[in-house]
Amino acid sequence: MPQASKIKAVVVDDQLTMRTLVRSCLQQIGLTDIREFPKAPEALSALKAQPAHIVFSDFNMPEMDGLEFLRSIRSDPQLKGIGFILLTGRADADLVKRAAQFGANNYLVKPFTVAVMKQKLEQIFGALS
Amino acid sequence: MDPMEAIKQTYFQECDELLLAMEEGLIAMETGEADSETINAVFRAVHSIKGGGGAFGFEILVGFSHVFETAMDLVRSGKLDPTPDVVKVLLRAGDKLSDHVAAARNGTGAAVDDAEVKAELAKLTGEEPEDAGAPAPAEFEGLAFAPVMIDIGDEEPVAPPCPVWHVRFGPHAALYAKANEPYLLIRELGMLGPIEVTADLSKLPELSALEPEQAYFSWDVVVRDCPDRTKVEEVFEFVSGDCDLEITEETPEPAAAPAMISAPGLPSLDDDEPAAMPAAEAQPEEKKVATPTETKATTVDVIKQTIRVDLDKVDRLVNLVGELVITQAMLSQRILDSVQQGQTVSAGLGELEHLLRELQEAVMAIRTQPVKSVFQRMPRLVRETAAQTGKEVRLEIEGEATEVDKTVIERLGEPLTHMIRNAVDHGLETPEERVAAGKPAEGTVKLSAEHRGGRIVIEVADDGRGINRTKVRQKAIERGLITPNSNLSDEEIDNLIFLPGFSTATTVSNISGRGVGLDVVRRNIMDLGGRITIGSNTGKGSKFSLTLPLTLAVLDGMIVAVGEQTFVLPLSHIIESLLPKSSDVKAFGSNGMLLNVRGVYVPLVSVGRLLRVPGASYDLQNSVVILVESEGVGRMALAVDAIVGQRQVVIKSFESNIGHIDGIAAATILGDGRVALILDIDGLVAGCREGTGGRPTEYQQALGA
Repeated sequence: MPQASKIKAVVVDDQLTMRTLVRSCLQQIGLTDIREFPKAPEALSALKAQPAHIVFSDFNMPEMDGLEFLRSIRSDPQLKGIGFILLTGRADADLVKRAAQFGANNYLVKPFTVAVMKQKLEQIFGALS
Repeated sequence: MDPMEAIKQTYFQECDELLLAMEEGLIAMETGEADSETINAVFRAVHSIKGGGGAFGFEILVGFSHVFETAMDLVRSGKLDPTPDVVKVLLRAGDKLSDHVAAARNGTGAAVDDAEVKAELAKLTGEEPEDAGAPAPAEFEGLAFAPVMIDIGDEEPVAPPCPVWHVRFGPHAALYAKANEPYLLIRELGMLGPIEVTADLSKLPELSALEPEQAYFSWDVVVRDCPDRTKVEEVFEFVSGDCDLEITEETPEPAAAPAMISAPGLPSLDDDEPAAMPAAEAQPEEKKVATPTETKATTVDVIKQTIRVDLDKVDRLVNLVGELVITQAMLSQRILDSVQQGQTVSAGLGELEHLLRELQEAVMAIRTQPVKSVFQRMPRLVRETAAQTGKEVRLEIEGEATEVDKTVIERLGEPLTHMIRNAVDHGLETPEERVAAGKPAEGTVKLSAEHRGGRIVIEVADDGRGINRTKVRQKAIERGLITPNSNLSDEEIDNLIFLPGFSTATTVSNISGRGVGLDVVRRNIMDLGGRITIGSNTGKGSKFSLTLPLTLAVLDGMIVAVGEQTFVLPLSHIIESLLPKSSDVKAFGSNGMLLNVRGVYVPLVSVGRLLRVPGASYDLQNSVVILVESEGVGRMALAVDAIVGQRQVVIKSFESNIGHIDGIAAATILGDGRVALILDIDGLVAGCREGTGGRPTEYQQALGA
């Protein structure tokens, strides 16, 4: 059973509140290595320098939105295998559909619970201990 | 603190910023200056407030922001034209949203009456307000993401495969002839990453055959950790014609354990099948893995109370501290080395003092903030006041980037609110009156801030009717504030409105208060160590000027001795110091004195006598006179026994213990540990002008304390 504490996560959201919330949920699930970035371009270069297993990214952000960020990850040979969960503020089916097309591994509608987040993580990593 | 509670604090802090950004964007939309990014920023702000609100269960807030967000989404996507009428609704919605945030923060969730605005928003969006805030479905039917298994394994995640560059560099004689230096080039390569250098000396002939101007050496350099070939090439950019250069890429050895992360294939973009993610088979990618880099977990703890600071300011602080430590070390060394080298020691001490001073300023700068946070609240105030009074008002804001200490900012809001309301309510005329007076129907209120001589000056100017001096004078006489035969200058009449209990509004309005206004404003400003004055031009408008210290923590002062006491005079008020000739001093009235300063007579006051300081010399022959100027009241000469020096003092307020004393601003602790009172020059000057001459018992009390 994979250990949650081994998962390296990156959280990208322009809102500090959301980053902190995601971090707090991830910590409750058992993750310890969590990096936060307010902007996608920063996260992208940080990922290149120091990879992660999973990315949680907001959709609506200045400079580079979540889908563009996802595309950049998927088109980078070095990063394309990283898990990607899109955080959306609105239950927007079109957006989720596009995200799926671009290669997102899942999505989370804000606000979310720890349980839902864990469930989505386990779909990617298998049951976590 | 409960972690959720801490995040909630972060949320509200962030809400403040978002609300400001929203308001700024909406105002840009109102003036037609908004581009799509601005509109998007407004949308994002509303969206984020809603998102966070949802996480904390602020349903009323979420419900309202949802309607607002929907409207903004339509504007953003071009489906709703931001006409002036639409923007007006959006602005009002913005005001309501701040109310909702405030209500959520105070825990009074239901108190905001938003029905009207909500209805207007719904009219714009065509959405039933009842539908708003319907909980978002957590799952979308038919959009199942196929589970993608990512195996974490025991391995570090894939580190970037970094090519290794083999550089063979053989300079020609021409390279040396142009004064290039291979060592510098190789050193530059070393900046790109770790390098291994091997010199090839095989071409070096016997000494007898050696031509000194020929080139014989070449080097093999292995460059690691540099992902970019062009970076390597750039090093040789200027010598490429004068050397043999060969750059080859070596593919690094795959690491022992292959990466365990499997990559989901890229779905084609025109694939219309929304359903599943392509199954992620563990395709062993041709991924080259370099040695795993050290992973440092950058865990950022939730910070309880933060102020956001420009990185530059912090950097400056860090640099200064570094220098300070060096100077200190140097100084100790020198003191140890020699007692005789007195001069070097004092130079070092001087430098230490200089650095400490800079350090202190840098630390203070961390606490400064632009006045923007206060100014930002004013447009709404103007909108509301204008709507209540039926006036048309445009607010112009200038200098909102001007920085001042956080404590000053926090206490600036109330007086400023009062002044702005006053300008709209009393200063400006109704549109009809304005048109009749040949002015545009829309009145202008201008709010500005600037630094001037170590203080911040904030002005609120309107282009209204100005102060009706006949009316003010009459009112003052009615209230017994002045006698009917007082001979007052225009300026003095204008400033009568700051007297307690003065109000000229014919009808008491609930906007500018009930005549408890401007004296309270003045009190507040004076408590901050500031001054407020008004200037007026009949028919053209009036202008409130407010000057405040930049910080409430330190003060540049002149230390003076009076009898057994030491006092501090704020340097900002001092014009000059002089030794008067007895012929320059003239008696005036019963016990007043005037000093002739180059032909101009100013009142001369002995601080010792005024404050009844024990042991003070009353002999003007032995006194030093300090010429001071106060805001609004004028110049005055203060006689003291001696000037001790000039230094920056830390202000210790004693108002909470002793209360306010006219003429004394605060206290400080001197280098020798003694307490000195800081004189409030304006208070002293005003007190003397009024002829009260201070209140000795209070000073005795303060000195004895």
